[in-house]
Amino acid sequence: MRTDRRKILAGLGAGVVSSTVPAPWVRGLRAQEASEIPVAIASPMTGVFAFAGIEGTDGANHFAQYLNERGGIAGRKLRLIVEDTGYQVPQAVAVFNRLVAEYKVPLFLGDSTGFQKTINEEVNRRGLLLAGASFASEIDDPQKYPLQYMPGPSYSAQVGMLLKHIAATKKGARIAFVHSDTEFGRDPIAQSEALAKTLGLEQVEKIVTPPGSFDVSSEVLKLRRARPEFTVFHGYVMAPIPEFMKQMKEARIETQFMGTFYSSDLGILQKMGDVADGYLGVNAYNYVNQEGVSGPAMDFIKKANGGKYRTNSYLQPWTNLTLGTEAMRRCIEAGKEMTGANLKAALNTIKDYDMGGVIGVPISVPGNSIGVGRIFRANLKAGKMDPVSDWIKAEA
Amino acid sequence: MRIGSAKQTYAADEAIFKTNVQRAWFAALALALILFPFIASDYWQLLACLIAINIVAAMGLMILTGFTGLVSLGHAAFMGVGAYTAAYLSNHLALPFWLTIPAGGFVAAAVGAVFGIPSLRVKGLYLALTTIAASFILQSIFFNWTSVTGGARGLTIEPASFFGRALVTPGAIYWIAMPIAALTVWWARNLLRTRVGRAFIAIRDRDISAELLGIELLRYKLMSFALASFYAGMAGALWVYLFRVITPESFRLIESIFFVAAIIVGGLGSVRGAIFGAVFMTLVPELLKIGASDLAPYWPDAVKLLSPVRTIVFGALIVGFLMFEPLGLNEIWQRTRQRFALWPFRT
Repeated sequence: MRTDRRKILAGLGAGVVSSTVPAPWVRGLRAQEASEIPVAIASPMTGVFAFAGIEGTDGANHFAQYLNERGGIAGRKLRLIVEDTGYQVPQAVAVFNRLVAEYKVPLFLGDSTGFQKTINEEVNRRGLLLAGASFASEIDDPQKYPLQYMPGPSYSAQVGMLLKHIAATKKGARIAFVHSDTEFGRDPIAQSEALAKTLGLEQVEKIVTPPGSFDVSSEVLKLRRARPEFTVFHGYVMAPIPEFMKQMKEARIETQFMGTFYSSDLGILQKMGDVADGYLGVNAYNYVNQEGVSGPAMDFIKKANGGKYRTNSYLQPWTNLTLGTEAMRRCIEAGKEMTGANLKAALNTIKDYDMGGVIGVPISVPGNSIGVGRIFRANLKAGKMDPVSDWIKAEA
Repeated sequence: MRIGSAKQTYAADEAIFKTNVQRAWFAALALALILFPFIASDYWQLLACLIAINIVAAMGLMILTGFTGLVSLGHAAFMGVGAYTAAYLSNHLALPFWLTIPAGGFVAAAVGAVFGIPSLRVKGLYLALTTIAASFILQSIFFNWTSVTGGARGLTIEPASFFGRALVTPGAIYWIAMPIAALTVWWARNLLRTRVGRAFIAIRDRDISAELLGIELLRYKLMSFALASFYAGMAGALWVYLFRVITPESFRLIESIFFVAAIIVGGLGSVRGAIFGAVFMTLVPELLKIGASDLAPYWPDAVKLLSPVRTIVFGALIVGFLMFEPLGLNEIWQRTRQRFALWPFRT
């Protein structure tokens, strides 16, 4: 019995070690060809955001296929190297160090605000371009984050769009902010409160929930007393938004629920159930199943997915790679080396660029973000999101 | 081949290195650690820094749980205390790393001693629950004491500097982390040879008997918590110099469970166990990840499909150790050494 136990453990250990044995000669096989440009992606394929990471990986792979079928980047193929981070910053940093050293990538896609903040100095030191899944307002600062960009408007800009929509809908409306007590949740609040005042809106309540909270009954009581006409959620992907909406409806609080990018995905809203019908969300992209949306990129996406709905997490790396590879193309055609500084400068020359149907208007990237978004209403009975505004440009 | 090991003095019997062969192997290890940053890539240097930090933290937990028998699920929170202390002192008082790192340790030790007070009344699972409470209390403080911790945004820290040279790369931090790890291992090993270490072990084995023999439980239990938290605080301070960003989400309950798993897999009750456990828990997920990505040329979806499997395999390895080798990696090491002690003769 002892011998069997040791053999089993020894076998498991040998399996772990032998899984890395092919590494040297496999890497020889994979040695970068001159006709390829590698891009590394740190994606959370396990952990709490695995659903987003897997969607994002598919989006990235489909983009690579789309681009390479159209001649690649100035004749060179795009090659993606994707690794799992488990949405852990130390793992993401380890992935960054390994892939950047091994593949000499000009562009790296990260997975979280924490990672993008942590790695900023290293990115500046190594001189490559970095984008990711974060819309943090802090990262939307070309002075502090000179070699980074994001695939949409910052959180502050997103809430700003919602507030302007509210102000256009009803002057002097009563609004409430409900956000999580995380860096993600707190990001746009101070600026948004100031903007609300400027727009003449009356902020009647601000609710801060601990991360991962489920019991919101005491917070709903506060909102019942405050009676907001518009309730803006931020800092959540799903919970506790449906619980808030359910209890507020039961308490007969007449309010319009609204939220930012991560709670505005149709798939997420469908999971919330009927309470989410009528929810207003600001999105940086058209929805994949949106009617009347067409363009080379969106048509490819629809065809590649056979009509299957793909979430916003699918479109984020698509957008990051669209902009990043366009910057590379401009660098190559200008005869410049693909350093981080040159790529960022090239990125910032992107003006009135057609995103092929992914975004409904031509976009520009003067700084670190794409300053456009649109507000949609959840029409869950029809299984779609209906636009209720035109494309809104965020103020610089 | 060593035949017999006659000791003529207590000091010789207590010596850490009993033979010249052991001293030679240790010298070879030291040389390898010194040469490592000159031959390893940035990635492996980063892993070495992570291993060094995890060794420091695991060693602290080994003193508390392995030697004193006090279960703690708040160890990562004490790392957070050390990390925030180092960041605050660096940002607000411009103190150098060689002051902020020990300061982080001392502040964490003081906090750890306070949270160790319940250990005088409760033990086992009940003590584990109180340390979980410590984890939540400290995390709440990290979130809400905005003036010191930066709240949900956290803090960024300037790089450590040495004679005006900023230490920004993992290779540079290695020269701080690895010597500190070596020192903490040496301290822990020597602790076992002292009266304090023997008191810890006596408390672990039978605390009532230890008290009857004159060992003050109050003093030694709190000392154990303080020592363990000191180690955790130093590890946290090193962590913040490596990543240069700290948020309240950096040191959660799951990280405490990581260190408990490390010392169990490594082998409870041994200094080597903390080292083996830290190396295992840091390296194995990375090796599994490398293996999955090496399949990518043949199987494009390998990373996406194997990533969850990788997590399952890692968990299975830990469960495997608990079932088949409860004494941990240290026991495997001991058996291997024993086999070669009289080599080529069979034992």
